[in-house]
Amino acid sequence: MKNVIEVKHLVKSYGSNRAIDDLSFNVKEGEILGLLGPNGSGKTTTMNSILSLLKFDDGEIRIFGKEMSPSAYDIKAKIGVVFQEVAVFDELTVYGNIDYFCGLYIQDKETRARYVNDALNLVGLKENKSQYPKQLSGGLLRRLNIACGIAHKPKLIFLDEPTVAVDPQSRNNILEGIKKLRDDGATIIYTTHYMEEVEILCDRVIILDHGKIIASGTNDELKALAKIEEKVTIEVAELSPNQLSGFDDIKNVSSVEYEDGVLKVVYNKGKNNLAEMVEYLQSHKIKYSKIFAERPTLNDVFLELTGKELRD
Amino acid sequence: MFWHSFKYAFKTLIKNRALVFWTLAFPFILAILFNLAFSRLHDYDVFEAFDVAVIDDAEYKKAEIFSEAFKSLSEGDERLFNTQYIDKDEAEKKLDADEIVGYVYVEGGDAKVKIRQNGTNQTILALAVEQISQGVKIVNDVAMTQIARSAGQKVDVEKIYRDAVATVTDAEPNIKDDSRVMNIVSIEFYTLIAMACMQGAMMSAELMNRCLPNISNRGKRVAIAPTRKGVIVLSNLLAGYVMLVFSVCALIAFMRFVLGVEFGDNMGLIMLLAAVGSLTATMMGMFLSIVLKTNESAKNVIILIVTMAGCLFAGMFGVTKGFFDNVAPVVNKISPVGQITDGYYALFYYDDMARFTTDIVSLLIVAGVFLALSIRGLRRQRYDSI
Repeated sequence: MKNVIEVKHLVKSYGSNRAIDDLSFNVKEGEILGLLGPNGSGKTTTMNSILSLLKFDDGEIRIFGKEMSPSAYDIKAKIGVVFQEVAVFDELTVYGNIDYFCGLYIQDKETRARYVNDALNLVGLKENKSQYPKQLSGGLLRRLNIACGIAHKPKLIFLDEPTVAVDPQSRNNILEGIKKLRDDGATIIYTTHYMEEVEILCDRVIILDHGKIIASGTNDELKALAKIEEKVTIEVAELSPNQLSGFDDIKNVSSVEYEDGVLKVVYNKGKNNLAEMVEYLQSHKIKYSKIFAERPTLNDVFLELTGKELRD
Repeated sequence: MFWHSFKYAFKTLIKNRALVFWTLAFPFILAILFNLAFSRLHDYDVFEAFDVAVIDDAEYKKAEIFSEAFKSLSEGDERLFNTQYIDKDEAEKKLDADEIVGYVYVEGGDAKVKIRQNGTNQTILALAVEQISQGVKIVNDVAMTQIARSAGQKVDVEKIYRDAVATVTDAEPNIKDDSRVMNIVSIEFYTLIAMACMQGAMMSAELMNRCLPNISNRGKRVAIAPTRKGVIVLSNLLAGYVMLVFSVCALIAFMRFVLGVEFGDNMGLIMLLAAVGSLTATMMGMFLSIVLKTNESAKNVIILIVTMAGCLFAGMFGVTKGFFDNVAPVVNKISPVGQITDGYYALFYYDDMARFTTDIVSLLIVAGVFLALSIRGLRRQRYDSI
């Protein structure tokens, strides 16, 4: 598959603060690339630089094989962007907003009308097309924001946290829509704070911190980077200090946390940790109400790599 | 593309309640308030001369042409002022005690007015002094020309003096008779038209904000679209300009046909000045929106302050244009509000087409400068931060 985006040695500083530090990566045609990083890691700056909204100090950005610039209209015609902040006109209806932004790309009225209706269907706003943005809930407004960014059927789509502060129904709708866009052949760059969305949607993930790539790969490849093997969580009614210290001595346990009646035991190796833990609890007469085991998540990897939760 | 953008820009403007209020409703409301405030002046019977003072010192006596002209306004049954000739201390006391509306004094050769508060009588006094001063200036210029022409010949200074007094006295019937009182009111309405034109600066700034990615997210959408920025900007500004000219013309029509404001025979020129003034205001708003590196709200406040300061210097809010012409003469010469107001002054006071044309040309030049600087600021713009 050919590269849709090629970023080479990108550098961008704000005064003495280097926001992007020699960043290089490619995005392949038809993939959904997750761009992750804590706040201030350089995600949005990277996006704005790729879109030629920001000047950058050094490096090269090519999209669809051509150098990107503010006047690269042929490239821009194939790009759709959904910004994190809702960017619509309060004075226009849902239909009017989509039609206006779509009209910046598509001049033929009939084609545009068809595209606008497709976008309305995609985000599930057909019933709301005559309403004004102020009449929409937060979730519906987000959907409108997405429709305005993708109505012209772009081949490359940037989605900057499109599901922030939306209800579960709208989130599901948005995620389904994004999958459909990918199925229709679009390449997508997706930034989010929700790790579960990354796991569901993204074919590949890049984790940024301090303007540098600290890890990249598929979900499984990233999870393989985790130093932990398994996490066992146990709801315990009561635990004495002696009982608690005993967990540290269990084979392959790397850390133990106990707070508000919940015990978290992290294993760095082992295959039958849950069964062995059940045996241990019974043999030490520790009463528990619930026990379950988890494989490491992307969030664990993120935490290990950046020292921060993704939502920090 | 152009008309698509124009159509939606126009739609959003006419549905933007705040903009519609400031550009359309607010000038209409002010026009109605002005009409209520000045309606008593329309009725000549209710007009009564009011008490003023003149500081009768050596400087005043030296300003013979001015003093003669002012004296003529203080005599007869149709006089404007009940004038007392007293010293400065006494005038201050009377002013503090509200026994006089204000007092007139001459300083450095210029006649000045001191008032304690704003009001109709204070405005009339200030306007009268201003008009006489302007007349004196014209006469002095004419006299100097005559003297220059008569170099080497015997100059009849006495005749020049007599002509001068007659010219100044004859030049001020506008203030004296009924039509004069009417015209004082008209001037307030003219400055109101200038203010309405200047609201266009705020409108074009709002439109520009939509196109600038460093100001609004809608601007980011526009910046990443495969459309030339100039097309979007031009279509938006044209929509704003059309709406502005429409609202200013509607305001003028409302004043003329509903409030009965007298505009004389110069309706076409009044409309022309309104259209040119609106164009300059539109360009000014665009320029300020581009050069001010701050957020949308702060930009609007700055533009509002610039516009209102221009209105103040141009003679709104009860302070005369002449006052600021004396205090800060440059301001009204470079400010679009000052130029629009001066254009109406030229039409109304002097019927001076040369001065009117100068104002029109000046406004067009200022608009051109704003446009050129804006284009320079916009071309291939990428930002250090957004």
